[in-house]
Amino acid sequence: MGALPLACLLALWHGIAVAGLAPAVLLPSPAAVVARLLEQVRNPLFLQHAATTLMRLFAGFGIAVVVGVALGLAAASNRRAEALIRPLWRVLAPVPKIALYPALVLLLGFEHASKVALVVADAVFPILLATYQGAAAVEPKLIWCARAAGASRNRTLLTVVLPAALPTILTGARVSLVISAIVVFLAEMLTSTDGLGHLLVYASRSFHTVDMFVPLITISIIGLLLNAGFNAMRKRLLAGFPDEP
Amino acid sequence: MAMQASSPSAFAPLLACLGLLALWEVAARVMAISGLPPASEALRELPVILGDGEALLNIAASLRRMLTGFVLALLFALPVGLCMGRSARIAAFFNPLLMVIYPVPKAALMPIIMLWLGIGDASKTIVITLGVSLPVIYHSYQGARAVEEKLIWSAAAMGMSKAARLWRVVLPAALPQIFIGIRTGLVLALITMVTSEMIARQTGVGSILFNALDMAQYASVYAMIVIIGVLGFVLDVIIERLRCKLVAWAEEEREIAVGTS
Repeated sequence: MGALPLACLLALWHGIAVAGLAPAVLLPSPAAVVARLLEQVRNPLFLQHAATTLMRLFAGFGIAVVVGVALGLAAASNRRAEALIRPLWRVLAPVPKIALYPALVLLLGFEHASKVALVVADAVFPILLATYQGAAAVEPKLIWCARAAGASRNRTLLTVVLPAALPTILTGARVSLVISAIVVFLAEMLTSTDGLGHLLVYASRSFHTVDMFVPLITISIIGLLLNAGFNAMRKRLLAGFPDEP
Repeated sequence: MAMQASSPSAFAPLLACLGLLALWEVAARVMAISGLPPASEALRELPVILGDGEALLNIAASLRRMLTGFVLALLFALPVGLCMGRSARIAAFFNPLLMVIYPVPKAALMPIIMLWLGIGDASKTIVITLGVSLPVIYHSYQGARAVEEKLIWSAAAMGMSKAARLWRVVLPAALPQIFIGIRTGLVLALITMVTSEMIARQTGVGSILFNALDMAQYASVYAMIVIIGVLGFVLDVIIERLRCKLVAWAEEEREIAVGTS
């Protein structure tokens, strides 16, 4: 049942391509794209580009997790920090971060740093928000118990609040992970000499339509796999937590 | 946030802006590199850009595309989302599709769509529509699914047709959720708007921004970033106001914005 609509979509695509409604230069058939994808997956050069993209993705995501969780916990546990972080978040969250990219390029150069920074800027907000909401919703009695038992403020934060907020944090992190995959690709499309996004732009300049689809599908599959993998990890980590709706 | 929108926290974002500007000014003066002009210098560019008729036309073109894309997305995504929420079969049909489309970078479709429709308004509007549709579908689906069954039974018992129930019962009841989707959709509309204009540089704020970068007019680059940022913030506030007016009856929902570009 689940595969049916996908099969319909593929059949439609195949039909249009085979019937000659669209010339192959504009719309290659799905078979051609898949064949090219399988060929590229064995091509070390292509793999190198994919590895560059993944490296930037994980670097940015990792930094975003650390920064987002730290700021979120700070905002939830400290009034002064909250008064500082909340307005900043309110102002910066609706700003399209991709518009910051030219500034990041000017500051950090055309290499990895500017792309990683853009990923961080985009991925940090869902994690920050999730951590804040998760930590603010922790049962106060848990915190009182820990405090009454003599745990220090910081210790309570790390050993009580953080684990209790974990389900929400991981939900935010999963959203951020997919965002990271998308943003790193866009950044590579805008200015880059390597990575999957660059491959797409490079192919579009030379009108190799099949080669335009391949990196796009690759990054989408990466996003899907990361999403599924993260879900599996979340389930393992949260064994015993009440299931979220 | 709606509760605290009174005087103290209305100031806070303003203070945050001033703080950011001050930080920027100091950082620029300390680092003293050409890639980071001080805030005061970039802000002086603002009246120059906003006084230039061509730049205003570009900004208007961007906003027009964004609005068109947004409205198209609502017209398409709301019925789909609401139907998914009320029919398990429709939901089972669309869910796998949405799951597969979710991690696709929508703005990255721009080069491919450009092949088909050219670099004009049509491609950009379609990309914006795609970007906005997903969160609106997702949230209207969640909203329609959670509508109290009794409301729908009552409406059915009073003789309301299926379509009328969807329009007059399910839609209003799902509105709080839908607004979450719209708010996320706004961010996505901005992202896809800027990105599509960066890729097909013809008109719009994205093309001004990147052309300024290419011509090394750094103050203009930063001024444009400020303009786009203010645009995002103002549109966000407008949607938030609208939400407060339309769904003041609902408790504020806590939801992590699902945003992908």
